[in-house]
Amino acid sequence: MNKYLLKSRLTLILFALSIVGCVNLKSVGDFSASSIESIKNFEQIDYSFLQHCLDRCAEEAIRLYEIKRAQECSCALYEEADSVAQVFYNTIGGYFEGLGLLSQNELTNYSSEALIGALTTQEVGPLQIDERTASAFSSLSNTLLRASTDFYRRKKLAKYIEEANEPIQVLLEKFEVIVSTNLKGELRFKRERLYAYYMDMKMSRTVVSEYEKGQATADYYQALGEIKRKEMELAVFGKSLAEIAKGHQVLYENRNELSVKSLQNLAKGYSSNIKGLISEFKKLNH
Amino acid sequence: MANLTSDQATQLSDNFYSLAMAIGDFRYENWDKLSFEENKELSETQNMLLQTGEDILAFSTTLIMDETIDSLAKINSITGEIQDSIKKLNSIQKGLNVAAAILLLGVAIVNRDTKGIGDSIKGVYETWQAPIL
Repeated sequence: MNKYLLKSRLTLILFALSIVGCVNLKSVGDFSASSIESIKNFEQIDYSFLQHCLDRCAEEAIRLYEIKRAQECSCALYEEADSVAQVFYNTIGGYFEGLGLLSQNELTNYSSEALIGALTTQEVGPLQIDERTASAFSSLSNTLLRASTDFYRRKKLAKYIEEANEPIQVLLEKFEVIVSTNLKGELRFKRERLYAYYMDMKMSRTVVSEYEKGQATADYYQALGEIKRKEMELAVFGKSLAEIAKGHQVLYENRNELSVKSLQNLAKGYSSNIKGLISEFKKLNH
Repeated sequence: MANLTSDQATQLSDNFYSLAMAIGDFRYENWDKLSFEENKELSETQNMLLQTGEDILAFSTTLIMDETIDSLAKINSITGEIQDSIKKLNSIQKGLNVAAAILLLGVAIVNRDTKGIGDSIKGVYETWQAPIL
């Protein structure tokens, strides 16, 4: 076959394959990345069930004016609640990390340097292959490989998203309940205990001087403000979980069109909402 | 009797919270009418209600675990499958490297290059033994 004809056909095939092979799984990758970043904020939350229990013990000791050599505090139930939250965090995080890895293009950027080297540095039988032709062959094989692995990834991702949607929706919803209802709910009790402590102080008239009254009021509102900040932090984290659930639902509904532009825009919207909540969380956390 | 659900437990916790608040408000509204002992007793009750409500909320969290055990198992299994798929994709790079090594062996055989054959066999073996990254 004419050498130039071979080259031009190779170029044409390469061009066609590069279009087919250029599967864009960016929507899944970007969404997974922002979901992971948001879920990881769980580690930044400066409150836990155990912390709540320890705080309660300290507050009780203050209320009853109890001075002991060591604080006696039974918090087994609260530690168990924390371990449940940790299981949810690990399970949900692990799933999105896997999804993100499988959708990364870097995964199928294979290096064919070894193959080019093998084709050019030695004589292949009676033929001597020049470097440009070797590169073209290598590029062709890489594109073919990429097309088949991208197809494989799309197929697998669609399958996993389909199978995971129902359980991940349940887990995200329940994780949100653990954080936004239960852990945040504990803070409501802390708030009420604080109110009772300062109200008892006021009603018993144990604070006499104007300065002490002012100081006590300032202390109360400062402590209240701190509780409020933690409540907001937990609420924002909970909102981001709800947003992740919505985004995953969109991926599920479009699982067979993972490379379609409209899905990319849709998923981008959810990623952007999640990023907004991440930023809000960080502001509250620092 | 049916088991308590996490939602029911949360609802119970809400009730304890509301009761504790109501007792607190009653104490402050009737502070001067209540004797020291009555006030103290009510204060202890208020405190116990708060503590019980908090405990129930923590307990509700542990109940969620039992209610979602199937979903947790399913997601863990899917995550395992995803990791297997990723490993398969990574091993393609190893296949490419082995193919290149075999090609060099073929060239050495065609050229009847005894030393090249020996080196290439070693190369194929080493590439094959290399860990999957």
